[in-house]
Amino acid sequence: MLPRTLTLALSVLALTASAGAADAIALKVEMPKPLFAGTPRPISLANLEPAGAKRADIMVPAGTTVLSKGKTVTSSDALPVIGELSFLTDGDKTGIDGAYVELGPGVQWVQVDLGASAKIAAVAVWHFHSQARVYHDVVIQISNDKDFKSGITTLFNNDDDNSSKFGKGKDLAYVETNNGRVIDAKGTAGRYVRLSSNGNTSDELNHYCEVEVFGTAGK
Amino acid sequence: MLRWLPLALITLVALWLRTHELTRRPMHADEANQAVKLGSLLETGHYAFDPRDHHGPTLYYAALPIAWVRGEKNLASLSETSVRLVPAFAGTLSVLLLAAAAMPLGRWPALASAAFLAISPPAVYFSRYFIQETLLATCILAVVVSVQRWLRTGATRWAIAAGFCAGLAQATKASAPLFLVIAALAWSLARLVKSPSSAVVLPTAAPLPAPGPTPRCQLYPGRALLLAGSVGLGTAALLYSSFLTHPTGLVDALGAYSQALTRFGATAAPTGHEKAWGYYLRIFGWFRSGGLVWHQLVFTVLALAGILITLLRRDRWCFGVAVYTVTIFAVFSGFAYKTPWHLIHFVPGLAVLAALALARLAQQPRGGLFATGAALLVGGTLWQQTWLTSFLRPADQRNPYAYVHSSADVLKYRALAEAAVARSPLAPIRVISEEYWPLPWYLRTLPQVGFWSQSPPDANGSLVITSPAQLAAVRASLHGPYRESILGLRPGVFCIVLTPDP
Repeated sequence: MLPRTLTLALSVLALTASAGAADAIALKVEMPKPLFAGTPRPISLANLEPAGAKRADIMVPAGTTVLSKGKTVTSSDALPVIGELSFLTDGDKTGIDGAYVELGPGVQWVQVDLGASAKIAAVAVWHFHSQARVYHDVVIQISNDKDFKSGITTLFNNDDDNSSKFGKGKDLAYVETNNGRVIDAKGTAGRYVRLSSNGNTSDELNHYCEVEVFGTAGK
Repeated sequence: MLRWLPLALITLVALWLRTHELTRRPMHADEANQAVKLGSLLETGHYAFDPRDHHGPTLYYAALPIAWVRGEKNLASLSETSVRLVPAFAGTLSVLLLAAAAMPLGRWPALASAAFLAISPPAVYFSRYFIQETLLATCILAVVVSVQRWLRTGATRWAIAAGFCAGLAQATKASAPLFLVIAALAWSLARLVKSPSSAVVLPTAAPLPAPGPTPRCQLYPGRALLLAGSVGLGTAALLYSSFLTHPTGLVDALGAYSQALTRFGATAAPTGHEKAWGYYLRIFGWFRSGGLVWHQLVFTVLALAGILITLLRRDRWCFGVAVYTVTIFAVFSGFAYKTPWHLIHFVPGLAVLAALALARLAQQPRGGLFATGAALLVGGTLWQQTWLTSFLRPADQRNPYAYVHSSADVLKYRALAEAAVARSPLAPIRVISEEYWPLPWYLRTLPQVGFWSQSPPDANGSLVITSPAQLAAVRASLHGPYRESILGLRPGVFCIVLTPDP
């Protein structure tokens, strides 16, 4: 519990310390401890992000905070067998047993309701990082429509064959690690953030340890 | 007629659990490998025992009639259901055999033993799994029943049956003698026990045959043993030699033991299957993994109560069962090499001991009610775990029986390969990887599929499936652009799928 609290405190400190600055700042996301040591073999793949690669900083406006903490989460799998949907926004991204939610097989989505439209700077997601695995067809979208029928902005899509029917994506697949995945939302306005996946290389299920939506309140 | 109804119902439940939706779980690499070997036997009629990487021939020969009846004449037409029906039928037969073997306990305890085995999570799981273990356990039970009958009647046919079943067990897996030796040891020790009553342990027990002439088995045990041994050796020899068409199979059958020593001996390199001594105990207990709870604790506690009762009451037959079960448990726990399919060898003994505890409980004042409650509790927990392990999450890596199991992604390769054939009917499909099972099974109907452990000079194809380790070499051998995507083989192990980019 203590490390989680510490992590959150550091996160807030990092963000608030720079809140007074007028220029954009590099987003600092606190990462949980790794639960496994590297992939069994290093993978270099055209549409797979190189393991351990240093990702470019995401520049966000000063005053950016975590908007998703404690916010309501809904899902295509309303009654997960393992875990609770609230785990996605509870700040615990350790990935240990009891800290993730498991959704059913096939294409499943989760949706974070920020409560009001906001300028979203970035979205960070940790699916499951106890084992080297690649989640299929990861799609992240923002909208002000809770049904995602209109006004959709797609931030990330690595469904290279459109098997999830969200359109063909060109983003890279990636091996899940404790670093999760942080996506630049470029200040897209929206109230709802929806994340979809279609099973993974280890099983047909979908998992989430945590989702963090960074941004500033108001349109 | 009504007398047989409970056993018939138990058998039907056992059969249903073992045959319902046999294709629900993807093929494990070991199943796929053996199914491909069976496909070769089906197509060519030829089988040669391989002592290095495979167990005995019984499994393959047992699958032949099922495939024929289902109209499957070659590897391409062979189905997962057909191959898995072999252990399914064997597992169902084992339920009947246990009921017969446990008759000295009495009718209802024998039925309870059979019911526990019928719905046991590991017994059901591995009765739906195309490997040798369930067949071996069934053959061992058949030996026990035959020897029991022979001891009781002295009839030669039972000595022959015991020998035949022992031969089948030997031809199923080279570890068969271990079970037979421990069973003989348990029986010998049980004979030393001075029991108030020699075999009848419960008022409900089946009546002993009326005292009569000394059975012939006691008069001429050597002759019967010789006969049983000859039949057993002959049966095993017939199978290992592929019905006398492959005589070197006999030498290889003996060579299996030196292979085992090389592979599992004290100086052998680790196999990756080494586990702590408490591995099997844990699975028969209660543990949580990844948010799911796996247990057989209620059943195990009842079986432990049965062992305690056996020690206190010193019943010969139950003492033999307890010695056999505890010894098997200890021996397998002592081996560093551990795999979950060995669990099924503990279940019959534990089922009998649990049934003994129920029977004793039923004899206490108001015990019938408690015994019924305990039986329902054990039955309910076993059923729930069987449903979870065999039907809801049969390939889940947290499932203690799903051992290095293929992931659901393996079902996707075939569609990709079919699409590749549709695009370029004459171009090869190449699988270039150190590990590729169970893909040969899933791609078996496609004629132009080839498998390489290292990249060939020309790796081009309508579809190329490779491992991360081979990827660089494969890329160097390709001409033109390829689209790359990732599919799993099993948890933590990926393949990269390369498709020509038009």
